[in-house]
Amino acid sequence: MDFSAAHVSYVIASYAISGACVVGLFLYVLSRDRALAAKLKHQQEKDKS
Amino acid sequence: MQQFANPARFLKIANILLPYIWAITAILFAVGLYGALVTTPPDYQQGETVRIMYVHVPAAWLGLFVYCLMGFFSAVAFIYRHPLADAAAKTAAPLGAVFCFLALVTGSFWGKPMWGTWWAWGDARLTSMFILLLFYLGYMAVWNSIDEPTRAAAIARIVALVGVVNVFVVKFSVNWWNSLHQGPSVIKMGGPAIDKSMLWALLTMAVAYTMLFLALHLVSLRSEIASRKLRQARLVEIGNR
Repeated sequence: MDFSAAHVSYVIASYAISGACVVGLFLYVLSRDRALAAKLKHQQEKDKS
Repeated sequence: MQQFANPARFLKIANILLPYIWAITAILFAVGLYGALVTTPPDYQQGETVRIMYVHVPAAWLGLFVYCLMGFFSAVAFIYRHPLADAAAKTAAPLGAVFCFLALVTGSFWGKPMWGTWWAWGDARLTSMFILLLFYLGYMAVWNSIDEPTRAAAIARIVALVGVVNVFVVKFSVNWWNSLHQGPSVIKMGGPAIDKSMLWALLTMAVAYTMLFLALHLVSLRSEIASRKLRQARLVEIGNR
């Protein structure tokens, strides 16, 4: 890729926003999954006792 | 198909498959991005700007595909009344919305240098894609605004199924109306119009995005099942007081 080419900033911006959204989505989905699994485990332990 | 719709069996299979899906996704992204940014040539007309295609087109395909999937799951929920089908549609929506948003934003970044404008409201492809994003947001708003899950599911199914009509409008808008957006260049009669030196990277990125969606959807569905179990346990707890 030629970084001195015309309009290359649009390419960089497209990849940057795509990367940010994909990584953000990945982190959100995984952190929600972990938080819910921990809450469910806690609730099940509470129910047993 | 019915046996996989059992939540316990689904979770067991999903937990086995997920590490492999993550690994395949990572490899495909590495190969696809290397192709998109390093080995593929610049376009003879668009120059380096054509590299936006490798993130724009897969995001747009996923935006359309995920909505079709939501329509399918909603139809299955209508016919079989299976709660896992509703959960599958519900958890696909935020993922599809992000892909749809990315298609719009990266399309805008591509449009400015190529068409001389960020956006054109009179353009059928752009406007119908924006309406698709509104359908995604509307579908998610239904689930978030109604507390009773069975009632929310009933309304959400209708929104999902009505929105499928717009997916066809998006797909065929470039054939039906004059548009700034180019016509189909990959899935078309007579084969793809894109040169093989670019096509392989585009298809690799498309499969990478699809695998990413699959992995995120399985995790989201696992979260949704946990959330429903938690809700059920808390209702039992309140009932026992």
